[in-house]
Amino acid sequence: MRKLSEVLRDWEAVIGLEVHTELTTLETKMFCGCRISHDDEPNANVCPVCLGLPGALPVPNERAIESIVMAGLATNCEVMRRSMFYRKHYFYPDMAKNFQTTQGPVAFVMHGHLDLEVPADRADERPTWASVAADGATPIERAADGSYVAPIRILRIHMEEDAAKMVHVGGAEGRIGGATESLIDYNRCGTPLIELVTEPDLRTPEEARLFMEKLRETFLALGISDCSLEHGSMRCDGNVSLRRRGESSLGTKSELKNLNSFKSLHDALAYEICRQAEVLEAGGVVLQETRHWEPSRRRTVVMRVKETADDYRFFPDPDLAPFDLTDEFVERCRARMPELPDAKRERFASQWGLTRRDAGRLAGDPDLARLFEGAAAQLRPQEVPTLANVLINLAPSFGALTMLQLVSITELLFRDALTFAQAREVLGIVNGTDQMPIVVAGDRGLLQSTDTDALGAIVDEVLARCTDQARQYRDGNRKVLGFLVGQCMRASEGAGNPKLFNQLLVERLG
Amino acid sequence: MTSVDALSARQIAAGIAAGEFSATEVARAALDAIASRDNQTRAFLQVSEDLALTAAARTDAARAAGEALPPLAGVPVAFKDNMNLLGTRTTCASRMLESYESAYTATCVQRMLDAGATPLGKLNMDEFAFGSTTDSSAFHPSNNPWDIACVPGGSSGGSAAAVAAGEVTIALGSDTGGSIRQPASLCGVVGMKPTYGAVSRYGVVAFGSSLDQAGPLGRRVEDVALAMNALTAGGRDPCDSTSRHCEQDFLAHLDDPIEGRTVGIIPALLQADGLAPEVRVATQAAATQLADAGAHIVEVDLPNMANSISAYYVLASCEAFSNLARFDGVRYGYQEPGCATLAEQSSLSRAHGFGPEAKRRQMLGAYLLSSGVYERYYLAAQKVRTLITRDYQQAFAQADVLLMPVSPTVAWPHGAISDPAALYLADVYTISNNIAGNCGISVPVCLGADSELPIGVQLQGPAFADARLLTFARALERACQMEGAVAPSFAGRGGELR
Amino acid sequence: MPLTKQDVAGIAEYARIALSDAELDEMTDYMNDAIELLDPLLEYDLDGVEPTFHPIGELVNVTRDDVVTAGLSLDEALANASNVRDRAFRVPAILSGGDES
Repeated sequence: MRKLSEVLRDWEAVIGLEVHTELTTLETKMFCGCRISHDDEPNANVCPVCLGLPGALPVPNERAIESIVMAGLATNCEVMRRSMFYRKHYFYPDMAKNFQTTQGPVAFVMHGHLDLEVPADRADERPTWASVAADGATPIERAADGSYVAPIRILRIHMEEDAAKMVHVGGAEGRIGGATESLIDYNRCGTPLIELVTEPDLRTPEEARLFMEKLRETFLALGISDCSLEHGSMRCDGNVSLRRRGESSLGTKSELKNLNSFKSLHDALAYEICRQAEVLEAGGVVLQETRHWEPSRRRTVVMRVKETADDYRFFPDPDLAPFDLTDEFVERCRARMPELPDAKRERFASQWGLTRRDAGRLAGDPDLARLFEGAAAQLRPQEVPTLANVLINLAPSFGALTMLQLVSITELLFRDALTFAQAREVLGIVNGTDQMPIVVAGDRGLLQSTDTDALGAIVDEVLARCTDQARQYRDGNRKVLGFLVGQCMRASEGAGNPKLFNQLLVERLG
Repeated sequence: MTSVDALSARQIAAGIAAGEFSATEVARAALDAIASRDNQTRAFLQVSEDLALTAAARTDAARAAGEALPPLAGVPVAFKDNMNLLGTRTTCASRMLESYESAYTATCVQRMLDAGATPLGKLNMDEFAFGSTTDSSAFHPSNNPWDIACVPGGSSGGSAAAVAAGEVTIALGSDTGGSIRQPASLCGVVGMKPTYGAVSRYGVVAFGSSLDQAGPLGRRVEDVALAMNALTAGGRDPCDSTSRHCEQDFLAHLDDPIEGRTVGIIPALLQADGLAPEVRVATQAAATQLADAGAHIVEVDLPNMANSISAYYVLASCEAFSNLARFDGVRYGYQEPGCATLAEQSSLSRAHGFGPEAKRRQMLGAYLLSSGVYERYYLAAQKVRTLITRDYQQAFAQADVLLMPVSPTVAWPHGAISDPAALYLADVYTISNNIAGNCGISVPVCLGADSELPIGVQLQGPAFADARLLTFARALERACQMEGAVAPSFAGRGGELR
Repeated sequence: MPLTKQDVAGIAEYARIALSDAELDEMTDYMNDAIELLDPLLEYDLDGVEPTFHPIGELVNVTRDDVVTAGLSLDEALANASNVRDRAFRVPAILSGGDES
């Protein structure tokens, strides 16, 4: 198979995503008062409604509808005031009623978009000739650094209920093929699920990955889900087809499943694009089929071929009154929305002078952003970029640092009392305790002296010893300075500040 | 000596409150009446003796403790077997649910219990409520107490028969296209289909979710009104998204005069083919009686009523297919043993668990909902529903209530009508009421001049005019000689109360 | 065009109702008769008529609060099932022997 970059020179990949997100932060299921399950024993959270017992009736969870409206507002969707729940029928026991309650042609929110900022180092998959966005109107202009912005339209986000979990017994690796029986746990059945469907506006696997990352950051900020790809509370299917450069009609698409990490999403799409190109270039046809990504073998395999469209016998659910959302309801949802990652990033960048990249990393994770803002409030403004550095580069290795510990370590680093390596050592000690870094560093003699007079004496002693190196420096070999700083550090038994040594050496040698 | 069947609900509750007899004595009398009559009517599928005696004992203890008794204290009631009641099976008269134990109690049942009623058991019906004879019960047919060679009607045939034979004072039934009103008419009792949403559907096994409504049957309008008080007490049911608040005292206006108020009749309906002359005569006589009571009779039209049958069979079949999809033998219900695959197990469980009519309705529904067919029939039927609803709005702008037949004929012998299509057509007077979600009631007016079997006439009212409907029903009852009537060969048989 | 026996067999397979050959014949007749009964619907001009999916007047936006309510115990949940194992509902193989996918 050819490489992706070569394939995308000749072919345009047309990619759409369907993203299912469980509203795991709610207390109860979509249509009944059962607690949403996390790691419960099988069938611990079930009732007549979610088990589909005869006579039971659904009643929608208002918070779930608030959540989907917030998701829609955050993705620039239009709130559709009038919509209904529909029944989607298929006989499979993961749905207790043998139909899924979902939405029909009109979803709660529709017709949105996210502007995808593709940074330079993730921009090269997009061929340069693809200079117009999928809406046919928006030019894709590359910034001087090679980055670009692609608007990705969102067709709809609709509300539905999740299915039960099935464990297949007797087959290989828990797969359904070869299994002799299956066990059904209805704990997950009825969990509120929102399904976002994009327009086929994505053009590269990297854009798909970025879109998913951005969507995850957005939903995390809204607090509507824990958005775990690994545990399946956020699940993504990808549709991809190819067409020759410059063509406007769509090719036959395949649907990819089991994309349970950002890497799988990217790699599966990349594989599938190359596979389809090979098929088409050999004069073959791409079949409309569902394919399963096998991460260990790095390939997609056919799950099933779709010969005809499934007939789900959709009709409006007579048990559920229609919705006609009021202005008041929508405004209440809007008022509950937190600052979204994009806005937060711009604010962090301008307020604290962070790079957009650093600001984006802090803003994209609500817990991190909260920690950052809390700690920043206790620091002087000029110290905040150091805090950002700590949070991005140091703190992730330690799971249990308190805000006060972060403030303390930031202050020490800012005034050069610790090296980065020493800071790491200190954090390793205080992590998970209530000890303060400044105390631990002091006790262990790690605090670097910033007393210029004391350090000056050491510098003078070193220069007196290392006359050769001093001469070499004066002759223009600036690299030797590192050796001299090292000698100073050794002489001070690590207690001196290397930056200050550096500064004093340059002064004396200058 | 009096038999419990001679007493109204109010008399029973008052007698218990006054200490004339205990709730336990009433329960034992009712159990005795059932024991001596049900072998003829075969109205019951289960008699819940333990539940009845426990509930009665609770009523007696409450009285002994000096507590005020609820309005239906000690009144013997029974429930159509599509209503869940903890401690009983809920079979829907189907092999599919032959051993299904209720996991919870339906709201309508609970409200009757909350009002103090004594639960005597579960009543026969057409399988999953598909039918108008009760002959399609998977277990046994029920018999019409006025002539046990005849059907009691259906699908709430067990409910109507148990009330008509005096086995219980009040029964609950469900009505998707006439399933309370038609058996009430055939068995000579009062049967009310409340406004859609007035009574919770939670716990009543669904047939056609947008058409189904539970309601009471009794031998007196007053008993039915008392049951309506109980069923709506506490307001809307938070477990049923389509239920609405209509709590009120349905007894308060029972004896209001109808003088000067208007009753609409639809002349075309009385000229229809297949309407038995004695039923036409009885309906016309009822109009005269209401006029004699001071009501104005006006002629109105429901132009789309004839086509309501087509709309009904689309909606009811589609909703039935969907509602019955859950019966696959996995979580509950009949499971075919020894199947190698899930598809085989589901298909054979459903093939052998469901009777013929249940399969027919589901097959038709599955076809009508399929892609490309949906618009042609289902969507069209829902639009015709809009037209039918408008017809009613116009009619009710001219008349307070409408008067019409319930069933085109009196009860017929078992097996006399076997063509499903002929049975479908007999629903013409009742189904448009379900389609529009209005209220309707069947009131027994006389015995047929030719058949000597009971004839009921139907009153229909607009949505949430249930109390008004009962006022007119009571006016008609006063004018007729059927109030409290127990089928003659059963009256006073067993069930004696000291 | 009336439904053929093959059409009806396809619907029966979808609806998970096993029908014998004789039952299929009967069912085909029944369905074609029933569909004929629906003809009056096809004669309407329904342009501009809104469907009434819910006969509940103006009732909209019926919801409940996000509050946990008591459900069923495990025993209650499994009580009516014919085949259970390890706290779960058990079904036979979903794919037949040779069917690998």
